[in-house]
Amino acid sequence: MTDTLSFDDLVTAATIGVARKGLPTAALAGPAGSYPGAVDAGDPAAALLDAAALLTVSRRAGVQPVRGAACPPGAAAGAAPELPAPAARALRRIGGGHVAAGFAAAGSQLLADLLAAARDAGYVAPAALLPDLLDAAVRTAALRPVVAAVLGTRGRWLARHRADWRQVAELAPPDRTGASQPDGDDLQTWRTGSRGERRAYLARLRDRDPAGARELLATGWARETGEDRAALLTVLARGLSAGDEEFLEAALDDRAGTVRDLARRLLARLPGSAYRRRASQRAAAALRLESGGGSPRLVATLPGMPDDAAVRDGIDPRPPSPAIGARGWLLTELLAAAPLAHWTALCGLTPREIVALPVSPDRTTEVLAGWRLAAVRQRDGDWAQALLDAVDPEKAQNRPPAAWPPDQQLSAVLPAGVRAERIADVLLTGRDPGGGPMNVYAALAEVAGCPVPWPPVLAGAVVTVLRLATTRTTLTPLPRGLLDAAKRGLPATGDRDYAAELTRLADNYPQTWSPLLHSCAETIALRSIFLEEIR
Amino acid sequence: MPGRWSAEGVLALAPDESSRRAAGVLGRPAPWTDTGAAGELLWGLCAGSGQRPYQTIVDLSEPAYKCSCPSRKSPCKHALGLLLLWSAGTVPDQDSPSDFARAWQESRRASRESKGAPVPGLRSDERGTSEGATREGTGLERSEASGASRAKRRAERAQRVASGLADLREWLRDQVRVGLAAGGVPTAGNVSVIAARMTDAQAPGVASRLRALPGVARSAPRDAVPRDMGAGSGDEWPARLLSEYAMLHLLARAYDRVDTLPDELAAVVRSRVGHTTGKQDVLARAAVADRWLVLASRELTDGSVPGRRIWLRGLDTRRWAMLLTYAAPGGAWQDPDTARLRPGTELDADLHYYPGQPALRALIGQRHAPPVPAKHPEPAGDIASLLTEWAAGLEADPWLTAWPVLLTGTPVPPAAAGGVAGVAAGRPSHLVDQAGNAVPLAGRESLWTLLAISAGHPVTIGGEWHPDGPGALTALTVWGDDQAVPL
Repeated sequence: MTDTLSFDDLVTAATIGVARKGLPTAALAGPAGSYPGAVDAGDPAAALLDAAALLTVSRRAGVQPVRGAACPPGAAAGAAPELPAPAARALRRIGGGHVAAGFAAAGSQLLADLLAAARDAGYVAPAALLPDLLDAAVRTAALRPVVAAVLGTRGRWLARHRADWRQVAELAPPDRTGASQPDGDDLQTWRTGSRGERRAYLARLRDRDPAGARELLATGWARETGEDRAALLTVLARGLSAGDEEFLEAALDDRAGTVRDLARRLLARLPGSAYRRRASQRAAAALRLESGGGSPRLVATLPGMPDDAAVRDGIDPRPPSPAIGARGWLLTELLAAAPLAHWTALCGLTPREIVALPVSPDRTTEVLAGWRLAAVRQRDGDWAQALLDAVDPEKAQNRPPAAWPPDQQLSAVLPAGVRAERIADVLLTGRDPGGGPMNVYAALAEVAGCPVPWPPVLAGAVVTVLRLATTRTTLTPLPRGLLDAAKRGLPATGDRDYAAELTRLADNYPQTWSPLLHSCAETIALRSIFLEEIR
Repeated sequence: MPGRWSAEGVLALAPDESSRRAAGVLGRPAPWTDTGAAGELLWGLCAGSGQRPYQTIVDLSEPAYKCSCPSRKSPCKHALGLLLLWSAGTVPDQDSPSDFARAWQESRRASRESKGAPVPGLRSDERGTSEGATREGTGLERSEASGASRAKRRAERAQRVASGLADLREWLRDQVRVGLAAGGVPTAGNVSVIAARMTDAQAPGVASRLRALPGVARSAPRDAVPRDMGAGSGDEWPARLLSEYAMLHLLARAYDRVDTLPDELAAVVRSRVGHTTGKQDVLARAAVADRWLVLASRELTDGSVPGRRIWLRGLDTRRWAMLLTYAAPGGAWQDPDTARLRPGTELDADLHYYPGQPALRALIGQRHAPPVPAKHPEPAGDIASLLTEWAAGLEADPWLTAWPVLLTGTPVPPAAAGGVAGVAAGRPSHLVDQAGNAVPLAGRESLWTLLAISAGHPVTIGGEWHPDGPGALTALTVWGDDQAVPL
């Protein structure tokens, strides 16, 4: 301390109390020192307060700007247009003013639909919406890819400056406009960046130079951590080709289980890979076709314990449920791993005919389970449809989803039109495809799983159910659930004006729940505005 | 019939804490019979401890009170209770006053006409709940009292305020005598007695400043303001508290010799103490005609009544102005036309400034045209000129806490040191102007909207400067490409 009194000195004196410690006598520091007459000399407490007032005002008046604040480079001008204002307003209104809060609750799928439409039309989000969209994406993982896709250069710049938003921006697609990526495309990012930044870098390289990306990955492969290896390996799914087989085959011996799993999934998708050949051979040994003696039938041979090579290929002898026999489960596993094309080639029949073939001895449950798993994994619509139409053996009923994928998983791989027609049929007849009474919640889940906007057949069926419901005062779970799904499912463009139809329904048959119809109609109308604007 | 007052407005009339509490009990329909309202007169019978109910009458125009109870307080708890009842909308309108109310009204009229003097017990000149919260149109300006009685009342009030502030000065000195550490962080309970004394002494501005002390002491550490902001040592609660005590002490000292101060400074002191100026008196002052750019609008939520502060900039005169309006009961605004002004519009109108310096607070007089969207504002200076203006403003009014801002600069994102909100740690967000000067930006949620719109490039912002708060510059409006976005 010098011979002047600073504000800190006064704070110290005031904190302890001038009655106890007194007030040091000295001139005040700084400009305040020029006003000694303003300080009450008679009473130390008054003098302290007077001096503090002088110093407080001189401190407030003497605020100095910060010099030399670093100014990071601004965002490059983006080529993509921002969403037109009416579209942005529609987005906000659907989200209830605050996009993040409104959407994160229930409508995140609706938001995802609209953002995907904006992305496909080449738009990016307007600046004022970016913070809310990024917040929504942080909260709801499913939104991240679509939000990342509409960030634009401005949004990516913004997200880089906040830790929780960075993970969203890392999912942003490479800039296809050719604009330079000042921070993303030099090798430094690959060497020192975060896991997400490195993955984004690798993805960009993979799109330009698939082999180069794989070689870059292979160079440092041994030094990466297991989690890094798993994260980076997913990049090879882009532009997968026979050139990757050798690298993936080696990854089957990786220390990390996640990496081995990933490598298997990629190899299984690679036509003509040795992995697929091995899987087919194992399956062929377990299930043969016998055509002798009239009608063809399948003959199952329960496999023995898997050898090392089979375990390396992912055959896991542990059944997912203790109620399932170990060897029967192995049969299922071997069939699930094999390409479905193997069976059509083997039998020379359609999937529908194949699933109808008798199996002896009776291992129908194990065989169908294997095919169901394979159909889901290989996203094979024909097989899925055949399996959905097949009569399920009674024994399948108690199986967990891991050993018997539920119908919903199978219908998810159906061609969209087929899927919509199937569920439309259920809604109109009130009966499940198997003929039993409709399971309302399964039906609603299936409706929600259908791609949007719905084709006319499903949209029509939903409106029919809703029209029937308006004649009743209570809202049963089926129309209630359909109303929710219809907000994003009913087409907002096209010949039929569903918003108007629902409004008419609500007006013609006013019920206590008519506001729900109106709100659904309003959402569809807002979607229509949005889509019209970005057309 | 005047607009209803809020319950807060009514309670602010209470002479002391016990009346305030009692009024809450009596502000329910149960003890009341034969209540009514006609014109500016309110009346009712309130069951008390005696056999006969008390006759309570309030004349809203002054306001003046009459009650047959023995209390010597004015307004008494019955008058306050009746006002609360009326404020809640449970006093029915009648065509004419009841007999006892009419009798009182007539006797008052007669005495006023004969003597030209106010009725004893009248407390007519002030009724603000907090600094600037003028309840319009019922105060002094409509009183028909002669100039002499006005001066007399003013002198009486000044006397009352002065004696209250003398107590305050002693209280403040006691705080630093025994030491701030002994008292600890002030709580609402600690300050309520001295604050009530100030209300009683008709210094509501001081009272509300005292009631705000717990918040001042508790306010978050100034993490958004770096040490080199010149604020230096203001970080700890004893320092913030000492500054606040010192400024209150300065105000009390200034009021002591307010009659010897220059007019404009005296007006500042009076308004800081809580004297309000009637709307009519303000509108009678010189008009400043201009096209006024609405710079920014800020919600005031810390007072007892929610308010809205609107900053204007004269496009030709280059003058600043501030409009204030408070919420009226029932969710409306006392001055809806002011509350409706949107940032980024311009208003062709006459403004009338309140007395005091620097001239900021104003009322809209005549409007020459409805508000229209304004063009992108011209850059109105840089940080150096803001700081110069701010220092000049403080010279005129050392109690000044906020200053309007219109400047062009580049908002720089906070250097996120891992904090999710981005302002919790590391370097806070700044606004850097073309000269390379920077000031910290307040870490509000909307900071990110500002950053999104600027994207690292210069933008023009409207807002407020208060270097004692966390984050000196509060951006309230940003002009993006061409439209103003409220933040």
